[in-house]
Parts: sequence; structure tokens; C-alpha cells
Amino acid sequence: MSLSTHTTISGFLLPSIHSAPPFFTEQPNPTTQSIATEQWIRLILSYARHRKLFVLRVEDAETTDGDWEEILRNDRINRKVLPGHLSNFMKVMVERNLAGYEPPRQMRSVLVYWRLPEEWAEVLYDWVVSSGQLSTILTFYDITDPPIESPLTNIPIPLLRKAIAILGKTGRSQLIAIADGEGVRFLPRSK
Amino acid sequence: MALQRYTTSVDGSIPVQALLYNDEELLANQDGVGIYDGSQKSPEHQNGTVSVTTHRLFYIDSRREIRNSFTLDLSFITQTEYYAGLFKSSAKVTLHLSGNPTESGPSEQGVPLAQFDSWECEVCAYRNPPGLSPAAARVCGLCGVPRSAIPAPAPVHLSSSLPSSSSTSLAASSSIHNRTEVPCSACTFLNHPYLRSCEICGTELPQPRGEFKSAPSSRPLTPDPDEDGAATKMMKISFRKGGDKPFYAALKRSLKGKAWEVQVALTSTNNATNAVGMSGISGILRTVESSAQGRENNMKDALQDLEALMVKAKDMVKLAAELNEKLTAAASSAVSTATEPEEATFIRSSLSQLGLQMSNAPVTLDMMTDERKWHEELARELARVLQGLSGSNNGMMKERGIIALDEVWGGWNRARGVALIPPSTFLQVIPHLHACTEPTIRHRAFGSGLNVLHTPPYTNAAFAARLSSYLAMGGPKTTIEIATEEDLTVGLVTEMIDEVESDGGICRDDSSAAITGGGSGTGVEIRWWGNLFVGYVWDGQE
Repeated sequence: MSLSTHTTISGFLLPSIHSAPPFFTEQPNPTTQSIATEQWIRLILSYARHRKLFVLRVEDAETTDGDWEEILRNDRINRKVLPGHLSNFMKVMVERNLAGYEPPRQMRSVLVYWRLPEEWAEVLYDWVVSSGQLSTILTFYDITDPPIESPLTNIPIPLLRKAIAILGKTGRSQLIAIADGEGVRFLPRSK
Repeated sequence: MALQRYTTSVDGSIPVQALLYNDEELLANQDGVGIYDGSQKSPEHQNGTVSVTTHRLFYIDSRREIRNSFTLDLSFITQTEYYAGLFKSSAKVTLHLSGNPTESGPSEQGVPLAQFDSWECEVCAYRNPPGLSPAAARVCGLCGVPRSAIPAPAPVHLSSSLPSSSSTSLAASSSIHNRTEVPCSACTFLNHPYLRSCEICGTELPQPRGEFKSAPSSRPLTPDPDEDGAATKMMKISFRKGGDKPFYAALKRSLKGKAWEVQVALTSTNNATNAVGMSGISGILRTVESSAQGRENNMKDALQDLEALMVKAKDMVKLAAELNEKLTAAASSAVSTATEPEEATFIRSSLSQLGLQMSNAPVTLDMMTDERKWHEELARELARVLQGLSGSNNGMMKERGIIALDEVWGGWNRARGVALIPPSTFLQVIPHLHACTEPTIRHRAFGSGLNVLHTPPYTNAAFAARLSSYLAMGGPKTTIEIATEEDLTVGLVTEMIDEVESDGGICRDDSSAAITGGGSGTGVEIRWWGNLFVGYVWDGQE
């Protein structure tokens, strides 16, 4: 019963509990299960951060070569997370605002907030300031796919909207309707 | 002569009850009677027993019961007279007989052969049982429809009168009257054929001798009624040993009831429902209902006996205890004599067969005055059953530390044998048990509702500790492996493990989460692990 950590091909360091078969089984005891869920959420978030993954789907528990395979399956102990189990984690994450259902009003896929929307807002603003684009009108595409790779590359549009909305509350951003869609202009800090 | 004509001989060695039809009922018996044939004593029937039923009169001769016994259908009796007796003359009942026994004779002799078959009603297909009286056998017992074809060669006038009239014998006798009545030559009154002079005016009647002489030659044995005269149309029963009054009353009642006529109503109970109500579906329903009622009554009677027996339980136990004490005392006083007397051995073996071996007389409620005391006493008794007497090795829990409650209850009652303990009392006794046992036996209820009695090593805490160390030593285990280790049944161990799991002592690994090979087939295997979540510190990538 000696459990050890393991480093995956992508260079992620799996925790030792990932090698314990009970980790992949739903525990009927609520106390035990809440500890397990805690560890699972931590694992999902850190892996998402490592791989810069934004979307987690229930189907990822069933596909063999998805982005999440390295943590949702453990071939060394012949265990995998069952879809029902995974959707429970997702539910808890949404409740704790660590994820959001996307698209809304369904429960089979989530946006994983490995940075909270508030944190994303700060990252976005910092990037805008550092790249000297204040007061310039930017399209969403300019942000998600900039010529030089940024922390915001590939950020999902819904998450980006949230971040912009948060900046808008403090008067640092302004949504503008332009000819072929929407644009945003970032304003300098007022105070 | 009347005796020969109207009676049928029976085998008197058979008890009367066995000779009855199914729908016939025995009403009264009287022994020490003699029979007069007409006004003369019948020499062969001077000492016997006479019985009256709803249908017939039986005479069973006490000396030559096979040859001289006979039965007389009550339907022949037109009138009875009672003579109370005087000085040496004993009380007599005179029976006036009429009707033509040779007319109905064939049906009496023919149907008995047929009526001891069962037959199927053509209307409702009800299988009629054999053994009914001739009249009742002619209609279906369930739907009340007359039997269409009587297999016996039934007389013509009988079968033709069946659909129109329910009282066949009346119709039969009236048709005889019509044929034989004699008109008076003076006043033209139609006189009974047996009268010699006119009933109204006293003129001597012409004797219809010739008419009878012309009777069909197929009945040559029919005796000439007018040769015997009116006197032979009767018989007397002489009660030499008394008992005449009750017997006569029963006879009167039976004659009044005319059970042989009321064919359809026979099948119903005593309530005077009309014959129409008894046929058809309502009749069938009523028959079913009344038979169900009868069954219920029988059941109630049977259970009442049982209850009465239970009331006597205390007395039985006491009696057995006393008997046993006496036997033991006698045995110890007579040690020198080598063997116990045979009777004593017999009584002892009977007692043990009844479950009353008295080394430990069962405690019954009425031995105790106080209910609490009673429960404590019962708890002491139960403790003996569970742990055995000191030194002996036969307690139920001597070898086992945990045992299901139902098994304890069954075993205890088997040990008691009498005055069994109901489950409610058993449950009341259990809280007192720990005070009487060493090591302490306690009760434990599992989540599933399973109740057990257990010794200290089987408390939840003790078992959880044992299980954790076992898992730590030997690695993850299945329930069956744990059951083998603990030497308990799988069901019981499952309950105990579930309890440990719900306390967070262990966690499970379900093989349905396996990538390959898991979750298929029947056995989803669960392996138990020590709870590795508790106290886990994150050691993966931040």
C-alpha cells in the first residue's frame, strides 16, 4: 500500500492519492466523499492550469484520448472516473464558483475557472496596459488570438465577457458595437 | 304382513350412523323395544334398538342383527298413535302405514345402486357426491335442477310427476287412492279401499276384489291388501324399557319435518327459504357461503381448544415439575435397587418428549407477580441458554461472539419447549440481559434492521479497530475475505463493515470503476481499504 507520486508525459506531477483505487470510487460515507471531492477539484484545477484547459465535459470520462485523460484515468492501477462521479465534481465546482456551466442551463460541460473571473479581469487589464493598447478598440478576436502569445490566448469568449464585465463595473472597459460584431475599449484607471 | 311389505332389511351389524344418507340425521335411539306386526307380536323382532332419523326408522335386533334388522321409510307413515301403557302393558307407538311400497319399491332398490355413484349435473356440471337420500339425489345439490336421467329403471309415474311436483310421494300416494277408492252404492261417497262399510252412511261396500286380481302379472307377489284388513296396515313399537315419550316426540318432529319431501330445501340450512330462492346463481352463492360459514365455525372451535390449552400451560408445567421431583426423590431414596421402575422411566420419557425436562423448569408469567421481576427472571433464563450453565459447554454463544436475534429467539423457545415467549416479551427481556451475563452480552441493531446479540469483541469500535489493523497488515480485502477471517456469515460481516464505513473507518474500491474487466458480469467486487483520505496531504503539483 505504498502510494507514490507520478509524473505524466506532459510533465504534470500527479499526487500519490491518484494511485489509490478508492480515489476513483464514489464513497457512500459523506465525510469521506467530501475529502475525496476536495482532492479531485484541486487535481482538476491544477491540471487545467498546467495544460491551460478551459472546458471539462462529462464525456471526457469516457473518451480515451481527450485532454483530461492523464488525470481521469490511471492505467497503472486499472481505474478510471465514471461519468456520474465526474459530473458530481462538476456540480460541486459550480456551487463553489470554481467553474460555470457553459453553455448555461445544462450540466454536461463546464468552464473551469483555474483563474477566477476577477483574476482574469486583472490579467486582461495588465496585458492591455503592458501591450499599450489602452483606449484602443479591440475585437474579441484580437484578445483571444493575439499575434504574440499572451496569457489570454484561447480564452473562451464567455469567460472573456465576464472579465470585461468585471472591468466595466470599475469603469475600466467599455463594450462597443462595431460593424462586424462587438469590440471593447479599455480605459485608464480613473482614480 | 305390513312389516314385510313396508320394510327393507338392513345389515344391523353396521352402526346406524353408517347407514344414513348424507343428508339424513339421527334424531333418537331407544333400546329394549319390541315390534308388533299389525296387532300381533312379531316373534323375530322382540328385543332390539329402534332409531328414528329425518328419513327413516331403523330397527336393529339385538340378537340376530344381520337377519332381523330392518328399516322403514317414514314416508309410508300416515298417522301415529301413542299409548302410554297401563300396569304390565308397556307404552306403545302405533304407526299407520299407507302408500304402495311395491310402486316406490323399484326406486328404493334401484336408486340405492345408482345413488352410490356420484353424478354430474347437466346444467351446472356440479359433481354431486354419492350417498344422498333418494329424494335429494334426484336434484342437483348446487343448482337445484332435477336430475334429468336417473340411470335406474325408475317407475313411469314417478319420473313423469317430477317436473310438476316437488312432493313425489304425495303424488304417488294420491294416484293410488284415485285408482282404488270405492264408491258407496247408497250415497256415492268415495270410500277408502280398505273400508268394509261406507264412512258416511254405513252401507256395506262392494269389495273391489276383482280389480286387484287384474293387476299386471309382472307383480305376482303383491299381496292382496283386503285379505289382511286394516289391522295389518299398521305396526306397533312397544317400549319395554321406557324412553317412549322422547322417542315419540322425535318421531313426530321428523314426520312433521317431511325431510324426504323437501328436496331442494334440504341442501340449504335450516332457514325456511323458498325453493325458488335456492336455485340458480343465488342458490349457488348461498351454498358456497354456507359452506364457508361452516368451515369458519369449525376453525373457531379448533382454535378455542388451543387457547384453552394455553391457559393450562402453567398447570402442566407445575404438574410435570412435581412428577419429576417425586421421581427424582424416589430414585435417590432407592439407589440400592438397580433399576428405576418401568413406570417411572415411561413418565420421564413422556415428559422429555413433551419438552418438559425439569432440570430447568421454564418460567411462566403467572409464576411471577411483578412484570419487571418476570423480565429479569427471563433474562437470567436466557443468559443460561446463551452461555450455558457454568462448566457445561452447550450455550448458544459459547463459541460465537455474535448471533442474530431471530436465531436466539428460536433457540430459546426450543429450549423452553412450553409456554413459549412471544417476540414482544423477548424484546422487553433483552435490555435486562447485560446484567445477567459474563462476559456482557449486548443488543445491537444494524442499519438494515438486523438485530444481533454480541459479546464485547463485536462492538462497533472493537471491530473497526480490528478491521483497520487487518487491512493495514494484509492490504485491501473483499467482504468475503473479511468474513473468512472473522469466521462469521457474509451477511453479518456486510452489516458490520457498512457500519464501520459509515463511521469513516474504511473506504471502498469498486471494481466497476476499472478501465478493463470491471463492472461486467455479475459480481461487482468491492475491496475495502483503510481510509486513506483522512489525513491526506496534497503531494501533487500545485
